[in-house]
Amino acid sequence: MKLFHNVMLHISIASAIIMAAWAVFFYWAIVDEVNDEVDDSLDDYTENLIIRVLNGEEMPSLNNGSNNQYYMYDISEEYANTYPWITYRDEMVYIDEKLEYEPARILVTIFKTDDGYKELVVYTPTIDKLDLQKAILGWIIALYIGIFLTLLLLNVWIFRRNMKPLYVLLSWFNKYKIGNDCAPLRNKSDITEFKKLYRAVTMSVERNEKLYEQQKVFIGNASHEMQTPLAICLNRLEMLMEDDNLTEKQMEEIAKTHQTLENITRMNKSLLLLCKIENGQYADVKEICVNSLLEQYIETFSEVYGYKNINVSYSSESTFMVEMNESLSVMMVTNLLKNAFVHNADGGDIVVKVSGRGFSVASSGDVPLDSSQIFTRFYQGSKKEGSTGLGLALVNTICKAAGLKISYDFNGKMHIFSISK
Amino acid sequence: MKILVVEDDKDLMEIITKSLEKERYVVSQAPDYRTALMKAGDYDYDCILLDIMLPDGNGLDLLAELQDMGKKANVIILSAKDSIEDKVKGLDLGADDYLPKPFHLAELHARIKSLLRRNQREGEKKIVFGNIEILPEKFEVSVDGKLIDLNRKEYDILMYFMLRPNRLVNKSTLAESVWGDHMDQVDNFDFIYAQIKNLRKRLKNAGSTPELKAVYGIGYKFVLE
Repeated sequence: MKLFHNVMLHISIASAIIMAAWAVFFYWAIVDEVNDEVDDSLDDYTENLIIRVLNGEEMPSLNNGSNNQYYMYDISEEYANTYPWITYRDEMVYIDEKLEYEPARILVTIFKTDDGYKELVVYTPTIDKLDLQKAILGWIIALYIGIFLTLLLLNVWIFRRNMKPLYVLLSWFNKYKIGNDCAPLRNKSDITEFKKLYRAVTMSVERNEKLYEQQKVFIGNASHEMQTPLAICLNRLEMLMEDDNLTEKQMEEIAKTHQTLENITRMNKSLLLLCKIENGQYADVKEICVNSLLEQYIETFSEVYGYKNINVSYSSESTFMVEMNESLSVMMVTNLLKNAFVHNADGGDIVVKVSGRGFSVASSGDVPLDSSQIFTRFYQGSKKEGSTGLGLALVNTICKAAGLKISYDFNGKMHIFSISK
Repeated sequence: MKILVVEDDKDLMEIITKSLEKERYVVSQAPDYRTALMKAGDYDYDCILLDIMLPDGNGLDLLAELQDMGKKANVIILSAKDSIEDKVKGLDLGADDYLPKPFHLAELHARIKSLLRRNQREGEKKIVFGNIEILPEKFEVSVDGKLIDLNRKEYDILMYFMLRPNRLVNKSTLAESVWGDHMDQVDNFDFIYAQIKNLRKRLKNAGSTPELKAVYGIGYKFVLE
């Protein structure tokens, strides 16, 4: 939900509640006021009538031109004692002149004369409360809509004017990517909060950039510093292995150690390579024909992995040409193909397809890989000896550097890696 | 043959020296830029192994100095910094080869050997071991003076062993140098066995004296019986 919508929603809910409450209050205030007035007039009239009755004067005719009307009954003593002597109430009353029921305010008074108890009912037609409610409701709704529209316009205006720096910041963040050059964030706002926010963002971004840079340099340096000690270990073992006095068993152990060291070396080299690509050290590009690369390495790998009896099918619609560094293009192709061969079951399938816009390498597999993790360093679906876990990270980095898109898909028991322009 | 090793790491210096002396080279050591400049200036070496990052200077500067002095030496750069710029710069400054660390000792020897051979006169650029001769320019292999036919892979394998006689060659290293750089996850070396088997057969039929000996679990050694 957008901030603006959220604010509008809250304002409209709050104003609806406030206005509804206010409408109820308003209604009761009006009704109360009207009743008060009407009751006063009924009081006067009743008093007048009672005085006439008590004085034995003639009662006014029922149609005396005023709105006030009355009835008078004789009542028993028990009746007088059971009911309150003065009662106000609202009731629908049949009005003879109008031949219909109308709401009326009624004052019932019980009083005692020399002849016994009497009940005097005085009433006067009053405002139609239902009509009043409807009218108030109608006007409240109209007012609500009016206020809502006003608030909407007001908010649009306020947001436009005041929240602009926020949206500038958001769009800047959208474009921002750590480690990439990015236009500096400029603040044109004089508002303190935004100034602070911009300052905080700038500082945090700078800090992150610095950390990122440090980390990159650290990985590079660490890998680099390991080269010489690794060389020493490897070379010492090599010299040791040339000793003819070693037993076969000793030789084998040394060879295994040697192999493990080789794996570390390879991992180290891959890490260095990643750093170098990210630092843009493979800037020289030329037009590469991916088809011929694929054909060449499919042949090599088919020979090397011949024992796995993998079924390779290769089809090309047209040639896929791409502008990139030559050795990186080889790395990209060989890593993808190697994965397809190494992580394939014996007797599995590999399907390589090339079109003018890209190529895909598909290989048999049982379970899909975690597509969110697959291109991160050291992610391995299943641990494989000698595997560095850097192959796909390397391919991903190469693709990024060459402006290619790489995607992973699992479809019909095949892992499919597609690369396109 | 005199070789100057310029390397600041003591361990590596020791290993390289030991290994070179085993091959009967005369080895001179220079642990820093100053010593290297002095020695290279005073003496003539057949080959200089040069580390780029030295405590008191850059190996590339040494190359420039040598050029200024008009010294002609075969230089192989040994660098932990496997960077293209350094490589290009080094080769531009007159280095003959570039070997990134870490390297196999067998590889170092092969590079030195091929470098020294390059300086031999035309016609002598053949590689000989036992009664086998290879003329790399013509891709010709002969045993006892008789030409034999090898396919491309067999030739590459033989060439690899001819440059590294009497040295233990790891089969994964062999695979990498003959089949390409991406053999790191191969867990079955049948494809090598097949080629080696054919090569052995051909060599044996031609009556070669050197023999490809298998070293169980590791690789092969090309030895003269």
